[in-house]
Amino acid sequence: MKGYTGKLLRVNLSNGKILKEEISDAMKRDFFGGRGFAVKLLWDEVKHIDPLSEKNKIVFSTGPLTGQPLPSSGKMVIASKSPLTGGYGDGNIGTMASVHLRKAGYDVMVVEGKSGKPSYLLIENESVKIMDASELWGKNTFEAQDVLEKKHGRNSGILLIGPAGENLIHISVVMSQRGRAGGRPGMGAVMGSKNLKAVVIKGTGSIPNFDDGKVKEFGKKGYEEIKGKENYDFWVRQGTMQAFDWCNENACLPTYNLREGVYQYSKEFDGDVVQKIKVDRKGCPLCNMQCGNIISDSSNTPSELDYENVGMLGPNIGMKDLREVALLNRMADEWGLDTISLGSGIGFLMESSEKGLIPEKIGWGDFKSVQKLIIDIGKGEGLGKLVSHGVRAAAEIIGKESHRWAMHVKGLEISAYNCHACPGMALSFGTSPIGASHKDAWIIAWEISTDRFSYGKEKVEKLIEFQRIRGGFFESATVCRLPWVEVSFGLHWYLEYLEAITGNRMSWEDLYKIGDRIYNLIRAYWKREIPQFGRKWDYPPDRWFEEPQSQGKMKGVKVDREKYDQMLSWYYEMRGWDQNGIPLKETLNHLGLAGVSKEIIG
Amino acid sequence: MAELKFLGYLAEVVGARGKNLVLENPKPLRELLPSSFPEKNIIILIDNKVGHLDSLIGNENSVVIMPILSGG
Repeated sequence: MKGYTGKLLRVNLSNGKILKEEISDAMKRDFFGGRGFAVKLLWDEVKHIDPLSEKNKIVFSTGPLTGQPLPSSGKMVIASKSPLTGGYGDGNIGTMASVHLRKAGYDVMVVEGKSGKPSYLLIENESVKIMDASELWGKNTFEAQDVLEKKHGRNSGILLIGPAGENLIHISVVMSQRGRAGGRPGMGAVMGSKNLKAVVIKGTGSIPNFDDGKVKEFGKKGYEEIKGKENYDFWVRQGTMQAFDWCNENACLPTYNLREGVYQYSKEFDGDVVQKIKVDRKGCPLCNMQCGNIISDSSNTPSELDYENVGMLGPNIGMKDLREVALLNRMADEWGLDTISLGSGIGFLMESSEKGLIPEKIGWGDFKSVQKLIIDIGKGEGLGKLVSHGVRAAAEIIGKESHRWAMHVKGLEISAYNCHACPGMALSFGTSPIGASHKDAWIIAWEISTDRFSYGKEKVEKLIEFQRIRGGFFESATVCRLPWVEVSFGLHWYLEYLEAITGNRMSWEDLYKIGDRIYNLIRAYWKREIPQFGRKWDYPPDRWFEEPQSQGKMKGVKVDREKYDQMLSWYYEMRGWDQNGIPLKETLNHLGLAGVSKEIIG
Repeated sequence: MAELKFLGYLAEVVGARGKNLVLENPKPLRELLPSSFPEKNIIILIDNKVGHLDSLIGNENSVVIMPILSGG
């Protein structure tokens, strides 16, 4: 099939064996790429193991649209069995490494085993070497990026971990290009467990497309269409930071450990403030709507901000100064910590302190203490150790009903949206296949534009539609969803791109079915790895059901548990799952996953 | 006095983040907005309830108009 290099690169760090395997046409047809390839490989090869053991594998996966000359195609999915959640974990990252991997002749790379000493991989087209990383070990992600760029060239594609990944901190991520991050469910720790500090890729080949001329022509038209959108200029100036004011207005800003949805200091943080003090912008390769806002932080060092990290390290922990938040964000990036889980963990500690559940005093917005905490979390020491493996684990240690406000689903911390008054988004977090991520279905805007208080079937149908497009198509294609969702770039373009690239005309029905296959296999993966997995894993924390917001226009509002329960039941019915959330045999058979049903159902 | 609030790029379309208007009679919302104001991909809330461009606005109404975002 055209549009794929057709090769999987497999590196075993235990024995140094390097294999280049064919990717079958059936794999391309049924699982498409990116997340689809990743879950299929993990299902087949990673069973019942400790995520931080030598037996786990980490998958770096692209899709047919990755690295092509079309809008925002510089993405890659990084996946593994998650040390944070115990289930399937993945995340996408915008990086030159995705483009170089494809140009080097590989759609996917699987790294398995464990190196005896700190190592990094150097991939230069056909040449694949395991290199000594002793001099890199211990360096933060910015320093290590500098060293590797000096050695291998600034245009290399580089993926790397910081000290947090080396220290096997479960909320560590994979970083690239001084600020790009991906793999929230502990992908950094998986690399660290393999003594793998970095991957450097330099590819000079080309991707075999069906019609290169059309790919270029359609790609150019796509870029032009995006630039012509009426909100394009505004997007370029504010990026995702425009969501700050929007969320505060709609009472869904993450505030004080997701206890509230409005923040009294919101005007210190919003997109207009960022626009005024912004000194640069950056983003992913092949993107003409780069979303990273660079500002000078409180130590006069450049730091890249976007909505999620400002939300979670700002109002969620009571900070009042955007430049201080920028410094915290840069520290997280240097250490290779996920900013969302970090903000959630710090918020959890602050609330624990406020409630007297821990002896340490750490107040909301205590900038000095937070800086120290980030270092402790990155090292897994002191008070930081408590939340370094996520808030679920921390609540199990503290006890005393703290699980009610440990803000996670399935062990992954909730990203920057308070859902007291957004039941559809609460269900989105509840049913996201990696834990509480917003990437699969961000339904808040849709539900506010229709009826935010509804718990109707139409909301569940829309949620599944979003999951099919965002979590199914975009994560496996593998390209960024932001052109579609932020400036209304037409979805029809992607069918044109696929036809020009692969030679096959696909419909959205075809792509939805692939997305459903991927979702069902991910669900089956959770069930196989965690036998007790089921319905109770699909609920957000008690806080949103039991403690109404106390401020703002949604004062007094909380999620209705019975109605949420009904929505969840409808969700299972529409997905073809039983009422414990396990895929039915006929659903799996219909998706060509009969072998899977034997393993989880019998 | 009717209160109108605009978020994101819509504030730039209007040239202000907010407007306070004294209306002699209720008027359709679209008549209170510039002709260049987008009609698609926007959310209109009138007194916290979903409205539309043809909703009648009177002095007692508080209107918020915002773009549809994706949340990253």
